[in-house]
Amino acid sequence: MLRKILHKPQAILGLAMMLAVILAMALAPQLAPNDPNKVDILHKFTEPCEQYPMGTDDLGRCIESRLIYGARMSMSIALPTIIIIAVISTLLATVCAYTGGIVDKVFVIVSSIFMALPPFLVAITLVGLFESKEFSIMISIVVAMWVWNAQVVRTYVLREKTKPYIITCRMSGCSELRIILRHVLPNIFPHLLVLYSTGLSGIIIMISSYAFLGLGLETGTAEWGAMMVNANKLIFTHPELIAYPGLCILFAAAGFNLFGEALRDICDPRED
Amino acid sequence: MLKAEHICRSYGAHKAVDDVTISIEDGLITVVIGESGSGKSTLVRILSYIERPDSGKVILNDREIVRSMVRAQRRTVQLVMQDAASSLDPHQSAQQILDEPLKLLMKMDKDTRRKRITELSDMVQFPRDKLCNKVSEMSGGQQKRLCIARALATEPQFIIFDESFSGLDVTLRSQVLNMLKDLQSRLKTGFLIITHDLDTAMFMADRIYVMRNGKIVERLDKPKSLLDFKSDYAKELVRAAEYKRQALQNRKEE
Repeated sequence: MLRKILHKPQAILGLAMMLAVILAMALAPQLAPNDPNKVDILHKFTEPCEQYPMGTDDLGRCIESRLIYGARMSMSIALPTIIIIAVISTLLATVCAYTGGIVDKVFVIVSSIFMALPPFLVAITLVGLFESKEFSIMISIVVAMWVWNAQVVRTYVLREKTKPYIITCRMSGCSELRIILRHVLPNIFPHLLVLYSTGLSGIIIMISSYAFLGLGLETGTAEWGAMMVNANKLIFTHPELIAYPGLCILFAAAGFNLFGEALRDICDPRED
Repeated sequence: MLKAEHICRSYGAHKAVDDVTISIEDGLITVVIGESGSGKSTLVRILSYIERPDSGKVILNDREIVRSMVRAQRRTVQLVMQDAASSLDPHQSAQQILDEPLKLLMKMDKDTRRKRITELSDMVQFPRDKLCNKVSEMSGGQQKRLCIARALATEPQFIIFDESFSGLDVTLRSQVLNMLKDLQSRLKTGFLIITHDLDTAMFMADRIYVMRNGKIVERLDKPKSLLDFKSDYAKELVRAAEYKRQALQNRKEE
């Protein structure tokens, strides 16, 4: 597997970009040159210098430190959110689609109800429900997004369960649970990788757009979306303040997308 | 003996199988022949308990197969499907594919399974060095041999071949058919072969059933020549086969 990854330029590039984001998240205190929240009004809009490698913002806070801590904030919400979405959607959709009949019909009805609710409406409703802003964002994204992922997983399972090899698995003595765990899931796994890796990048963008709409984290938090909100009034005078966090979002999203797509090609035996 | 008695199966208004009674004797090769859409594949699905008939019974060794018995009976009746590539899990290696029935149906331990897998691959002339390969890394012939090996894994009393030889080139088909004939005479397994190819039927069969529009129109025991067929439809099939053969001969002479 590792050898296949190392032989695919797309995978190497995606992995490198992903690792950069994860490293920034994990080693933020070591990598950041300054305290990301330290206000130093005397040094506002400082040009890049030794102390502030990317300059400072309108409150004199170190931009580089805030971008590094921004990775930590975005990923600490996005990663658990996508894991919860992946578990719920894969489990529910696989069981319902594979079982079929009334179970699948109920699933379709429930998911149609959820799909009728626009994700941002759900977010606006749920984002203030809990004391912890991070937790509220996570729950609102899970409630808004699980159904879209579950619908895609359901399609994959429905396609897979009609394939002739499912019949021969039954003839080989496999129970229905074994067919799901050992045959259906491994065969749709490459597609799930792409679905959830693109989902992760989508969530990073969503967290940022929540902040942009004033639904996300507190103003002033070192988070990419929140940084863009703070900078939008300075777009003509200091466009770099909005461009830097925007590029970070693009970089993280592109990294996960590239790696997900490459992994799909590597894992799917039919793509060989 | 595997027997289907008065089997009926409809899909909406279309009667796919209409009051069919056939029996597959132990250690003999039974062939069901008929054109596409004659209900052969539906009959196969019913005989291998993949599908339930609307009415009628499937009887195995004088006991009617009911739903609760199906899993326990998997060992006895095995199926080789038409398209080898799609009937093998693309995610598994040949070894894993052969391992599954040995583990789940034969309840063999790991060492015995390993020995049996080698034995099975030799039996169907599947190259041992390809056992770790995935389906996409095998040729069509190897995929077909693997399907046959999997069906043989449980030492079944009956194996059903559902159009398993169509789509193979002439050389490969004759290799597979010869191998099967040899295996059948050694193992004494009852074979039910579903085909629309008269030559395959004549080469393999101890008994031939001719099927048309969901009904059995003729049964022929120990067929010796194409002239043995009595029904009009079977004669039509013979004429079509002879016409094809003649056309090929003419083209060769040109």
